[in-house]
Amino acid sequence: MPAVRRATAARRAAGAVLAGAAVLLASCTPSTSTALAPRGLEAAADGWHGLPLEPGTTLPTSPLRTTDGRTVRLSEEFAGTPALLFFGYTSCPDICPIHLATIASAMTTTRTRYDQVRVVFVAIDPARDTPERIDEFLAAFDRRMLGLRGDLDEVGAALAELDLPGPVVEGPDPRGEGDLIGHPAQVIGFDATGAARRVWPFGARRADWIADLPRIVAEWS
Amino acid sequence: MNIAWWCSGTPGLVWTWRYTPFLGVWVLAGALLGGWRLAHRRAGRPIDPPAARRWTAGVLAIAVVSEWPLGALGAGYLASVAVLRWVVLTFVAAPLLLAGVPTWLLDRWLPRSSRRWAVVRAVTRWPVALLVFNAVMIGTHLPPVLEALKVTQLGSFASDLAHLGAALLWWWPAMRREPDRGALQEPARAFYLFASSVLMFVPSSFLVFSSLPLYGLFELAPPLWLGFDAQWDQQLGGILMNVVGGLALWVTIAIGFLRWAGAQERADAAARRDRLGHGAPPA
Repeated sequence: MPAVRRATAARRAAGAVLAGAAVLLASCTPSTSTALAPRGLEAAADGWHGLPLEPGTTLPTSPLRTTDGRTVRLSEEFAGTPALLFFGYTSCPDICPIHLATIASAMTTTRTRYDQVRVVFVAIDPARDTPERIDEFLAAFDRRMLGLRGDLDEVGAALAELDLPGPVVEGPDPRGEGDLIGHPAQVIGFDATGAARRVWPFGARRADWIADLPRIVAEWS
Repeated sequence: MNIAWWCSGTPGLVWTWRYTPFLGVWVLAGALLGGWRLAHRRAGRPIDPPAARRWTAGVLAIAVVSEWPLGALGAGYLASVAVLRWVVLTFVAAPLLLAGVPTWLLDRWLPRSSRRWAVVRAVTRWPVALLVFNAVMIGTHLPPVLEALKVTQLGSFASDLAHLGAALLWWWPAMRREPDRGALQEPARAFYLFASSVLMFVPSSFLVFSSLPLYGLFELAPPLWLGFDAQWDQQLGGILMNVVGGLALWVTIAIGFLRWAGAQERADAAARRDRLGHGAPPA
């Protein structure tokens, strides 16, 4: 009988090893796409979801161009209206389109008009971000968003005024669409006087914007 | 990490349409198919072609929704595909697997005197199976649970395993034909499935009618196309759960009920013939 018991034990051990191997192999499946635990931003004690900024930063004065070729200075263009400013590029595979889609949907949900809060996208990839491409990109979210562009120096100067680092080429895009470009991932909120008040890093969800947009209209105009 | 300050498209996380095989899926599928055939060979039993087709189709259903692209899309890109995977595991794979196990094989795998069968018998009693299935369905679709599971590969696998396991338990009373193995008979079987279809409305309604995307994981995932709307994706998931899942259930209920009604009718007709035969005057 010990031989039978040994055989049974061996079969059980082999079964356990096989089951373990199967679990490990089966775990070679994909998991999350963002590697981000997406809880969203939490409301602070004052009720805002966007994070407060130290006073002193204002809308950049560096000149940029609209997609129809007009030169604008953000500090002048948006005086009198709160603005949300985001630097990104049209070939961006994740954060840029997610931010813009999230803001666009929250604007719709809260019935916030684009003349109450200006949403500005500054393209940081002058080689690929042609005026036509910027227009096409923004049209996927909302045509009323404003697209701006400039050469690398102009965009770098605008970012530097906000104490933000310039864009960095980070290697080939796995989709085969040129290079991936690293850049600041936050949306910066300016009040009607042009003062930077709050930032929304990537991770802000629709619910965060739905909470903050009415307050931007009410308190920053 | 909950937030990011630097946008850096990380290769491996950005969605591409480049085929990425998942070896583990095919190893598991091979083990399931091979194990089933091996069991026949060991028992010296011929393979019953309809049972083989059902078992193979069940295994293939698991493989298709676990392999690229559905496996990858459902794990972290599209809520609708995550629901579709659940629907296929629950309403296609599980019943086919159960229907692909002949009674003699069940007797070999779960001998009536074994401890294994005692456990399976306890959890496949219909009230327990209904409870476990719905607890797993609702529990694993709660946003904190789903997101905690999907951010790791092992968690994703555990989630799939829980869905398939719960579905096997739940289908057991409705699919098995052996009364001494906990099989339900009509019309109790139809009622059992009907109760499940009603309970399924709870999570699907949350997906369809929520005013916000429930899952940050899918809301903030790299979009597959420009202008992707996470809300629309979630609503599609809710509709899939309700319509495809509900349809599968109602078709099963209808088939089972019609068969039962047909059998009843035949039995009644036979009884009438018997009565007439006995009451007829001698020629």
